[in-house]
Amino acid sequence: MFRNYLLTAWKVFMRRKLFTAINLLCIVLTLVVLMVIASLLETAFRPSGVEGKSDRFLQVLMMRMEGPKGNRVSTTLPGYKLIEKYLKPMPGVERVAAVTLPASVSVYQGLNVSELMMRRADADYWKVLDFRLLAGRLPTSADDAAGRMIAVLNASSAQRLFAGTPKQAVGQRIDVGGQVFEVVGVVEDAMHLNAYADIWAPISTFPTSDYRNQLSGLFTALILAERAADLPRIQEQVARIAQGVVHDDPTEWNKIRFWADSKLDVFARILTQSTDTPDSGAGKLLAGIVVAMLLFMLLPALNLVNLNTGRIMERRSEIGVRKAFGATSSQLAVQLVVENVLLCLAGGLIALGATAGVLAWLESADLIPYLQVDLNLAVFGWGMLIATVFGLLSGVLPAWKMSRLDPVHALKGAV
Amino acid sequence: MIRLSNVSKTYRTDKVETLALKDIDLHVKKGEFVAMMGPSGCGKSTLLNLIGLLDRPGQGSVEVEGIPITRYRDKQVANLRNSTFGFIFQSFHLISDLRVIDNVELPLLYRKMSAAERRRLARQALEKVGLGARMDHYPNQLSGGQQQRVAIARAIVGEPQVLLADEPTGNLDSKMGEEVMDILLKLNEEGTTVVMVTHDEREARRTNRIVRVFDGQLVA
Repeated sequence: MFRNYLLTAWKVFMRRKLFTAINLLCIVLTLVVLMVIASLLETAFRPSGVEGKSDRFLQVLMMRMEGPKGNRVSTTLPGYKLIEKYLKPMPGVERVAAVTLPASVSVYQGLNVSELMMRRADADYWKVLDFRLLAGRLPTSADDAAGRMIAVLNASSAQRLFAGTPKQAVGQRIDVGGQVFEVVGVVEDAMHLNAYADIWAPISTFPTSDYRNQLSGLFTALILAERAADLPRIQEQVARIAQGVVHDDPTEWNKIRFWADSKLDVFARILTQSTDTPDSGAGKLLAGIVVAMLLFMLLPALNLVNLNTGRIMERRSEIGVRKAFGATSSQLAVQLVVENVLLCLAGGLIALGATAGVLAWLESADLIPYLQVDLNLAVFGWGMLIATVFGLLSGVLPAWKMSRLDPVHALKGAV
Repeated sequence: MIRLSNVSKTYRTDKVETLALKDIDLHVKKGEFVAMMGPSGCGKSTLLNLIGLLDRPGQGSVEVEGIPITRYRDKQVANLRNSTFGFIFQSFHLISDLRVIDNVELPLLYRKMSAAERRRLARQALEKVGLGARMDHYPNQLSGGQQQRVAIARAIVGEPQVLLADEPTGNLDSKMGEEVMDILLKLNEEGTTVVMVTHDEREARRTNRIVRVFDGQLVA
């Protein structure tokens, strides 16, 4: 039966080549947009590249402080003191890293000034993330302890500042807002949430040591578990630790809350501003993304529904004959849905190729710095899933209409 | 074999109500060859559609082998059509995109049967109507007579007990019409019940019984 569906589908597609081409174009355009989004989401949230261990690390990015009567609420980044005093001593974790969010800095070279994004990180940061070292070395805890004025550049910045191979940048000096750093290493460009920056320096290179006494501040903590299975336990542990944190001025802020989140949770918490509950709102965010994708598919799907309905009208005779010879309404409905899904899957394959082209263009156009997106098996799977959903969305209604056709009228309406 | 009792059929549109058949009582016996005659628009095709379960009566009952099908669900009716009836239409209604052999196989697709068995039976049916050599042709590569023979092969491939033919020679010249008629008579001799709508008195006289329809009613 399925072979016959395939055969009929092929014949129907080839009967009206222009019609099929328009259908395919409509499908491909829709799917390319959705696949590009799926690829970007996949790259952002799946453990890969520099954040290859993200399936076993959690992040504390937001801290909520409440006043005694609950009338004042402040949401900030954690300070170094919070990470050093409360999170780093946590038992049952592999390591806890502290790193600032990227901040814009001016790098002076003679008369040239370059604006770069800089992070300050402790030595654990380089062990939690898997940067690919192109030349030199990465900072160590000894560098941090000694407050050595060293820096790591990414490949693009090294090229921009010193025009040569990464090796040639090592040993050079750069002036960052009046502080002079020696470049000790060059790493590959990376776009991931916690890796994005042009230049990195040890935390101890801050101009003052005030950061050491700040409970809230400029940092984020990356907590690396030994196993992914430990993450729920660590999340509970962090929530308990948060309850025990005492602010320097408890009369001002007497309640502190923070949560250890996965990458998706971090993203969701930022978007939903959900800072007072363990639930980051990731479920709602995912549901929102799915709904948005379905809505995006709806308009072209309606167009396709229209085209499919027209095609059915052309096939009234065939439908009448099939019904006369014993086809049930559901068999006919399945047939059209299969035809449509097949067309959408073919469109999906073409869209995959086109998506690869769009992503290559996005990477080279530098619209998103250091973007590297792979069209891997997961994206292929997502693409085919989207294509199938699109096929079902645009095929079920015409199929249902077709299955309701009265055989007598279908046969009369035929040429 | 098939009994219609007190059957009426009315077609309704927004403004008009047309009584297509009124109080029809008809019994088609097993092995009969019945010709239905009457002027255009008198209700012959409607009657044939009711016999073949393509349509349901507004009033009255239709029995197949003594079983009333009035309360049958669509799926049951579809199964009964598939197992009991074969249809031949005036305009052939072959699927132009499919090869002759695939067209003939069509009724068997809705039965539990292997692809090889389907192919064997379709070949057999085509050989029976003398088109064994045209299996891989497409319908538009055949003459009208050959197309109608393909349609007959499609109608008989599932070995139905009843063949329903709606003006099967209406689109054919007299020679080809004669050939088709010969095939139908041969099938009837082999035991298949045939009900045929025709305008041709000569063809009708070759059958066992002529049923005349006029203004939606059977006339003597």
